[in-house]
Amino acid sequence: MKAYHLILTILFVLTISSAFAETEIRSGKDIYDMACAGCHATGVLEAPKLGSKTDWDKREKQGFEVLMIHALKGFKNMPAKGGNPTIKDQEIENAIKYQLAQSGFDQYKEKSGSTENNKPAPAKKTADTRPKIIPEAIPETKNIAKIKQPKKTRTHSVNRFNRLMKPAAEWNLSPAKDGIHDPENEGTLLLQPPKQAFESLSNAKSGNRVDWVKSLQNKEISPRYDRLSDDSKPVVMDLNIVREVKGSMPDVVYPHKQHTEWLDCSNCHPAIFIPQKGANQISMASILLGQQCGVCHGKVAFPVSECRKCHSQKKALKTGNGK
Amino acid sequence: MILMEYITVSIRYNLPIFLLVFALLYPAMAQAEYGDVLMNNYSDDAGMRPVVFPHWFHRIRFRCKVCHADLGFKFEAGGNEINMLKIIDGEYCGACHNGEVAWSVESCDICHSGKPGTPTQVHHSTTSKLFTRTNNKQKGGK
Repeated sequence: MKAYHLILTILFVLTISSAFAETEIRSGKDIYDMACAGCHATGVLEAPKLGSKTDWDKREKQGFEVLMIHALKGFKNMPAKGGNPTIKDQEIENAIKYQLAQSGFDQYKEKSGSTENNKPAPAKKTADTRPKIIPEAIPETKNIAKIKQPKKTRTHSVNRFNRLMKPAAEWNLSPAKDGIHDPENEGTLLLQPPKQAFESLSNAKSGNRVDWVKSLQNKEISPRYDRLSDDSKPVVMDLNIVREVKGSMPDVVYPHKQHTEWLDCSNCHPAIFIPQKGANQISMASILLGQQCGVCHGKVAFPVSECRKCHSQKKALKTGNGK
Repeated sequence: MILMEYITVSIRYNLPIFLLVFALLYPAMAQAEYGDVLMNNYSDDAGMRPVVFPHWFHRIRFRCKVCHADLGFKFEAGGNEINMLKIIDGEYCGACHNGEVAWSVESCDICHSGKPGTPTQVHHSTTSKLFTRTNNKQKGGK
């Protein structure tokens, strides 16, 4: 009998608490995951990125109230309350604090401090017992955090769709973040960020994410053909060379036109390609090793992953019995 | 003896496959723009940062022909053996970076902006994925 009462009491308490949970203030992380992560996880549309102290620094300096007003009323590309009007003001506050805390501003950390008790303070009654996952430990030294920024997303997001594919957030990084420029060098900061230059250019799926040929065709760029003069015009030759391919891939169409827009005949002939039909043995292996087409393609012209840009002509169907 | 022969033959035929597998397993370390050339022929020894040449920046302004035909740049990262003397004499970069077409050599930092110790390479090129292991390990992170 006692046991029966006990079970009833437990059930009662559970129902009450779950009913309360509906109106409970949700934690900053929950709100962040729900409404903010879409932009703030990757930093698209100029959103300050979670974990990036540099991004958040100037925002934080405006004061928490300003951040609050921006988040509640909307600011630039950010809609009011992250586009979800059901979120309470208190929850927005939690979400901002969560993002600041995750981006290296320790003063916004939960007061309980230690990582084990990372539950949000007002939400203690909720039935949510899932362990709170902290996306990444924040390195103590601020400078290290800055330098390692692009790496972090790479190593920590285990469940990325394809770990060899760069996510959009890692395309066209600014020089100081690209891992090859020295961020401590003053000149690095003077360099133009590629994204800024590419804004008005046609997009591509690979390489710089710029379709250079299209950009030139559409006159989005007008590169000089002469070092000093804007008026010099290229000698364009419109001649397609079709190369039959042995395997099952479509045949290759080589357009002289697009190449002569950029290059001089002497760039390729006769050193790389002998200007004579059938004189050049070309294979994907040698292209991958940086020879023939690979002198440019795979280095600066569109990469070899764009198979169909070259292998573009369907083969004439061949049947075994001569039909 | 036969075994040795077998090994050499198998290496010879499987090398491209090894290289490809290696390239696929070995994720690109550097993150710079596709086509950027890092030149470190002499910089490290001279105590300068290596040079990062942004191909994209230049191809917005000039067609390939200008540098690769008129100025004689070979299609090879580090293959032109450019040094400051040649540049000041108006060769290679110096044909434009003379204060007339583009800013002059006094702005050392803008070109010499790479991380020290990075080897000469073309970023994200298929060949550098196949052959060059960037030694970023010491500096840039894992």
